[in-house]
Amino acid sequence: MSVDEHALGELIEQSADLQADAMHQSTEALKEMVEVGHDRRRTGELDPEQDMAAATRRQELMRKSLLGAGTLAAAGFGAAVLGLFDTPAFADSATDIQMLQTAASLENLAVATYKTALTLPFIGGSSANGVVKAFATTTMAQHTQHGQAFNAAAQQLGGKAQNAADPKYAAVVQAAVPTIKGPSDVVRLAIKLETVAAETYVANASAYSDLNARKVTASIMGVEAQHVSILLAVQALLAANAPQLIALPPNLSALPGAAGSIGFPNAFYQTDMASPATEGAVS
Amino acid sequence: MRILRKTTDQLAISETELLALTADMEERHRETLPKMHAAVAEYIEGDGAAERSRVSRRGFLAGGGIVVVGGALLAACGSSSIKSATATTMASGSGSSAPVDVQAGAMAASLENLAVFAYGAGISAATAGKLGTIPPAVVTFATTAKTQHQDHADAWNAIVTGAGYQKVTTTDPALTSTVQSDFAQVKDAGGLAKLALTLEEIAAATYLNAIGVLSSKQAISTAATIQPVEMQHAAILNFVLGTYPVPNAFAMTTGARPVTDYSVKKA
Repeated sequence: MSVDEHALGELIEQSADLQADAMHQSTEALKEMVEVGHDRRRTGELDPEQDMAAATRRQELMRKSLLGAGTLAAAGFGAAVLGLFDTPAFADSATDIQMLQTAASLENLAVATYKTALTLPFIGGSSANGVVKAFATTTMAQHTQHGQAFNAAAQQLGGKAQNAADPKYAAVVQAAVPTIKGPSDVVRLAIKLETVAAETYVANASAYSDLNARKVTASIMGVEAQHVSILLAVQALLAANAPQLIALPPNLSALPGAAGSIGFPNAFYQTDMASPATEGAVS
Repeated sequence: MRILRKTTDQLAISETELLALTADMEERHRETLPKMHAAVAEYIEGDGAAERSRVSRRGFLAGGGIVVVGGALLAACGSSSIKSATATTMASGSGSSAPVDVQAGAMAASLENLAVFAYGAGISAATAGKLGTIPPAVVTFATTAKTQHQDHADAWNAIVTGAGYQKVTTTDPALTSTVQSDFAQVKDAGGLAKLALTLEEIAAATYLNAIGVLSSKQAISTAATIQPVEMQHAAILNFVLGTYPVPNAFAMTTGARPVTDYSVKKA
């Protein structure tokens, strides 16, 4: 293991300071959301059932209109855009709440998965790479904060907190855990969960009706993308049988050229794997 | 360019594997472009068309705002810090009559142009042997990031021109001289990475801020699909610099360029 534990500790401490600053910004956004939510409830604007029915009608109209026109499908973009409408686009409070709850469910699953991974000797134990262990620990903490932020946002719009894991991907994790034999298996699973989370938030960013829900989500999506980026680099180095290069600071001269770009495979973040609004919503 | 070559006992197999992965990656990257172009086309047919009509009706009335012309970079001079230059322009605004989505698109395009310039200058300097020995991973990073920033600039320019405004070919005028000045101080790969990290952080912060003020779904989607990529660039640069790569649980708007800080000109 080629890592300066002391230096890494200092870096993580600095990171915690920066994170506290970022939390402050996020909290401010949430405060705004609280006020908006209170205003809506006071004025009787918020009626989740009514909102849901209206949203469903609007989504169906949009879907028919788009499919009828055929323009999006012809452009090869139909599925992706209709996926966004499924989220749905131009949502309302009820669907905003669902999206936030689904986001929280993805975060809950990520926390549980990293927690489990850290019990494995090659992730959190004595045989673990120091950087990988620190990454899993810090990332788990970041996902905890993300879950709290999404739940706070959902509650402030009048919804319930989602404390359960996303059911679709919980099943994926459950099926994968018994097959884990080494760090690569964990990294592969983590990439999947982080990718789903990042893509879901990217898709949702343009679908919220509530501005602050959009802001909270936007402040998180890039962080999940960063998790993906580092995991892709780690995966490549593990696949290359070069775990010694997973180090901070890295041995730059020894890193293969391809390692410089493996972490950002697309110029535009994808949404193919985005979860629909209802996937992890509180029923 | 003096590039370090791996020794045979380092990753003799991995380079092949990683190159194969990179080829896959490039293919996937290219697959994303048609989707983005389609999204932009949707904007042009929708909000962009409405804006073109609006511009046409009141075209003779317009003319306010400062128009940045020419494609040349400003002469090197000014302060030593890009972030302080950003801070000094926070309160400014173009006074442009263009819709905020178009203004933001122009601002974003100018930032992307600046990133393309910076990476291009870095690659040129490295090729000329001015930055010492450059590790191959840094070369690959710079080359790929430059291409992606060009793709981002093209996406924003499609929105800008689709709404009836001129393509943005200049770099962000508020930061250009500072970047040039800072680039003149770059002596090695680490210095180049630090400069690039600052630009990536400003871009990511600008997009995050813009997502909170943009109005059309297409513009929000464009910003939302680009911001995470800038964040990924920053993560890898932090790693290269030996800094923890995901330092914050929440992205920040610190250092964001104001979306209205670039005067876009009607076509």
